[in-house]
Amino acid sequence: MKRAAQDLLMILLGGTALWLVFSGEYTDYVKPGLRIPLVAAAVVLVLLGAAGLLRDSGEGHHHAPRVAWLLCLPVLAVFVIAPPALGAFTAGRAVARPAPPPAGDAGALDAGAGPVTLTLGEFIWRAYEAQTGQPSNIANVPVRLVGFVRPAKDGWYLTRLKMNCCAGDAIPFQVRVRGLPRPRAGSWVEVVGVWAPRKDGQADAQDIGGREVQPVKKPENPYE
Amino acid sequence: MTRPADVLDDSTLPPPEWAPRRGSGVPWVFGGLLVVLVAGRLWVAPRLDAAALDAWTTVFVAICVQALPFLVFGVALSAAITAFVPARVWTRVLPARPAAAVPVAGALGAVLPGCECASVPVAGGLMARGVTPAAALTFLLAAPAINPVVLVATAIAFPGSPSMVAARFGASLLVAVLAGWTWALFGRGLRVPPRPEAHGGAARWDAFRQAMRHDLMHAGGFLVVGGIAAATINVVVPAGWVAGVAGVPVVSVLTLAVLAVLMSICSEADAFVAASLTQFSPTAKLAFLVVGPMVDLKLIALQAGFFGRRFALRFVPLTFVLAVTVSLVVGEVFL
Repeated sequence: MKRAAQDLLMILLGGTALWLVFSGEYTDYVKPGLRIPLVAAAVVLVLLGAAGLLRDSGEGHHHAPRVAWLLCLPVLAVFVIAPPALGAFTAGRAVARPAPPPAGDAGALDAGAGPVTLTLGEFIWRAYEAQTGQPSNIANVPVRLVGFVRPAKDGWYLTRLKMNCCAGDAIPFQVRVRGLPRPRAGSWVEVVGVWAPRKDGQADAQDIGGREVQPVKKPENPYE
Repeated sequence: MTRPADVLDDSTLPPPEWAPRRGSGVPWVFGGLLVVLVAGRLWVAPRLDAAALDAWTTVFVAICVQALPFLVFGVALSAAITAFVPARVWTRVLPARPAAAVPVAGALGAVLPGCECASVPVAGGLMARGVTPAAALTFLLAAPAINPVVLVATAIAFPGSPSMVAARFGASLLVAVLAGWTWALFGRGLRVPPRPEAHGGAARWDAFRQAMRHDLMHAGGFLVVGGIAAATINVVVPAGWVAGVAGVPVVSVLTLAVLAVLMSICSEADAFVAASLTQFSPTAKLAFLVVGPMVDLKLIALQAGFFGRRFALRFVPLTFVLAVTVSLVVGEVFL
């Protein structure tokens, strides 16, 4: 790989990273907190490439191995395939998982002002606590959950993927919705309902007795 | 039969400026690439609707994007050291006796950041300047595995489990020192590379810039290879199969150790891949993190190139066995 190609490739990589951040697409791949390091790295790449193009003369042997061309692949993937955030496909592949670790504070839910908005993670955790006999006032409290629709053999699930670090390690949080017709698969919806304990006593899967469901816009950060 | 080049001397040839101008094709390649990108986004992307392809691409791009800042800053630090620290500093810091120099070189690896592609040439330079090969090899193993950038990346990839960072540090340092001592006692077949040329009158900033570009190009391509492998495993391998292997104690550790060799991920990014292998035990992930920076396909190629094939044939198996054994012990005791 010639030197000028390396310089242009660095500009291309930096430009792609800047595009991801400023178009907001980067939240499909990584956590929002990576924004600043990503912009900084992109600026460094663009400056390096520009300096190389402007300052280096034609002489000198600074050839890079052919494997460096592979750096074009993520750029092509971002623009040509433009994949959406992970969804039902990934959620459907996951094997059964234990309940998520405690998240958020364990304070009492205030149901006075209508349904309480919870993340799926917190709903599952509170329901798990209630199911295993620990005090948690999830029972009979109307809650509001947001996720996408994943059809399954035993009904349909409200699903959201949880990123630990990047989309490579996403695991699904899923709650089965009972008593409501299934909206279009993969669409984002808001479900209002009340925790419905499972009769089989399975602690690693939770149900919600749905009262109403309505479509919503895909959240800016599709992951939890 | 004589070739024309032997008959003609320079005086009979037309002056060089008469030759057809062979312009560089590079701008055209990149211009074409930009057209493909815009056209792809406008006409191809909206029509693609294959769930598996989408998921593969998302995971692949996610690993690349997540690793990018760490790669850039790791390479910047490593280039700063190459450009601004004279090599003779090393010989002053390291003791003359190999047995004592090995642990010091290991500890130096903890302070100085450098990804594995950078550490091979640095180790070669150290040897050429009179550092004991065993100590230089310990540095080669330790530097990419336990430097601050890698440890911070590991802490971010495994939030809430500092024991993974500690285990990675301890196990990697132990493997590097053990390998160095073993080499000091039994090592043979090493070819000390010729002393690399000094950077003449080039300004330090230019040297810095060029070292950074060199490392980025060498490491970046292999990072993409790692991303491809990780995304493929994530999407193609049936979850049950992975879970099946992941559940078997020693087999799972060996599986991830071999995977680390095959994936050849840069040590600044490998923690994120390890964290994504959620089905595996912490010990197996530790083996992945310890083996990866020390033995992988690109390192084997680099080592054979720098120190000779006979060296690689001995050193690579030694490191691999040590890394797996130490990871098993450390993982079982501490994780």
